[in-house]
Amino acid sequence: MMRNRVFASLEMAILALVPIAILGQAPKPAPKAASKATPKIWTGPKTPWGDPDLQGTWTSDDYIGVPMQRPTQVGTREAPTDEEIAQRQAQLQKQAETDSQEFVAENAKAAVNPPGHWGERARRPPRQTSLIVDPPDGRMPALTPEAQQRQAELQKVRQGNPGGPEDRSLYDRCITRGVTGSIFPVIYGNGTEIVQSPGFVTILTEMIHEARIVPLDGRPHAGKDIRTYMGDPRGHWEGATLVVETTNFTNKTGIGLNGGGVTHTEALKLVERFTRLDASTIKYEVTIDDPQTYTRPWTVSFPITQEPGYRNFEYACHEGNYALHNILSAARADEANKK
Amino acid sequence: MFRALAVLILSLAANSAFGQAAQAQRIPRLPNGKPNFTGLWQSMTTANWDIQDHIAQPGPFFQLGAVGAIPGGQGIVEGGEIPYRPEALAKKRENKANWWKLDPEVKCYMPGVPRATYMPYPLQIVQGTNNIAIAYEYATSNRVVNMGKPTEAPTDTWMGWSNGRWEADTLVVDVTGMNDQTWFDRAGNFHSEMLHVVERYSFRNPDVINYEATIEDPMVFTRPWKIGLPLYRRLDKNAQLTEFKCVEFAEELLYGDLRRQPKK
Repeated sequence: MMRNRVFASLEMAILALVPIAILGQAPKPAPKAASKATPKIWTGPKTPWGDPDLQGTWTSDDYIGVPMQRPTQVGTREAPTDEEIAQRQAQLQKQAETDSQEFVAENAKAAVNPPGHWGERARRPPRQTSLIVDPPDGRMPALTPEAQQRQAELQKVRQGNPGGPEDRSLYDRCITRGVTGSIFPVIYGNGTEIVQSPGFVTILTEMIHEARIVPLDGRPHAGKDIRTYMGDPRGHWEGATLVVETTNFTNKTGIGLNGGGVTHTEALKLVERFTRLDASTIKYEVTIDDPQTYTRPWTVSFPITQEPGYRNFEYACHEGNYALHNILSAARADEANKK
Repeated sequence: MFRALAVLILSLAANSAFGQAAQAQRIPRLPNGKPNFTGLWQSMTTANWDIQDHIAQPGPFFQLGAVGAIPGGQGIVEGGEIPYRPEALAKKRENKANWWKLDPEVKCYMPGVPRATYMPYPLQIVQGTNNIAIAYEYATSNRVVNMGKPTEAPTDTWMGWSNGRWEADTLVVDVTGMNDQTWFDRAGNFHSEMLHVVERYSFRNPDVINYEATIEDPMVFTRPWKIGLPLYRRLDKNAQLTEFKCVEFAEELLYGDLRRQPKK
């Protein structure tokens, strides 16, 4: 018990140190690598029918661990300092060594966490201090009063023992992570494969085997009663950029990592922009607009990269979902014990 | 007179043959000259009920009456018979007798190949310049056919590992690396993890694909066998896949006994 407490306080100390290391630097102008100019005229690879060629498998791995919201102390500073970058580089180096050395570290919480090498890792330090790039403070805009209430209700449901599957997240249930949750960087499953044909772009994400078929022919959205988790995407080209506008959502997914966070409403509209910057980089940008949930539209952006040997695999989430079964049976056992 | 008629008939026949040839030329093609299968397609068979010939039957739940009955239909197996090994045939019969308790489709598990092709849901093909994506409406399952240098399946999966190549105007997809958890239909036809499927997609006309598959599995069958069926282009206005995420429809079945208050 004592030992655990020592460890706990050590962890607290480390946690307390990290923000200091990140935030301790005076906001000095850092290299603005993240804001490479968007090319107006496409000079990169094209498909035989003349569209910019975005095909391949891309990953958001490099932005694993970048917080969605910028710590308030960082203010409007978008880029990490040189020291923060060097620190992250060292951390990645150390992680790579650990991953290659051991199957499961002796002190790992193996009952809870998979071995380290199951995870995906950044290959280079990120160039942003937050995933949110607009508003300029990198913070999610204030929630509407209605959304605050929604969030409080959701938290209440999530806190207690689940009464049934519906009380757990759509991700726990292997149903979906939603559009943004499928591409935002997390511990693994960060791959997006793009396949193009005349008139269509397909965006396939590894986890949980989503395939978004984006028509480019200007057809109208599906009828208003067709509401789906992944929404109804329509695409067009603006110069080098693929613009995908998605509507017809349910009110059941969120915009956070893995589709978590406050649930949005059916009014949600997403505008995504995929811009190929060079052979191995696409700038991904998504603007989230749901006036019934957020007091203003906001934008998340990060690069996705092509990496040697990286590809999507089948993620049979539901087929192997022992976790949900165990969560529910544990909840029932817990309740039986308390009787 | 008769001779003139014969000439007329012959020339009509020739015209019609010419017409067919012209139509074959008009199939959609990509700039590289390959047939372009991009589009929304669907089978019109009852093969998902049974890939062999079958008559109409009552369904397992009498409450559903005619709505829950099983339609009859002609099978898609070439020659009609599936060459099961004797012990495998016994297992197939057992599967059929316990259909809805055992069929992975009921649990919303990914359907595997070839079953995904002839389920009663559409599928969307997007034919890229390097790879071909096939997205199935059922369970939002999908696969990407590698059209580059063939690669080996790194592990067994539900939807398998697909390597494609062209034989003239036919797309040939070699599928390996499938697990033994999927079935061919709701009649309990099954396979082992030794399953090897070779699919052939070719245009019959611009709106119909001839789909053929050779099934090989020495653990279960005494010889390779074939299925074949047409896939029709969905011509409905603005036709598209409609999300069918069936996990939540199977949750009561899979986890209902673990509810705090089980549903009555």
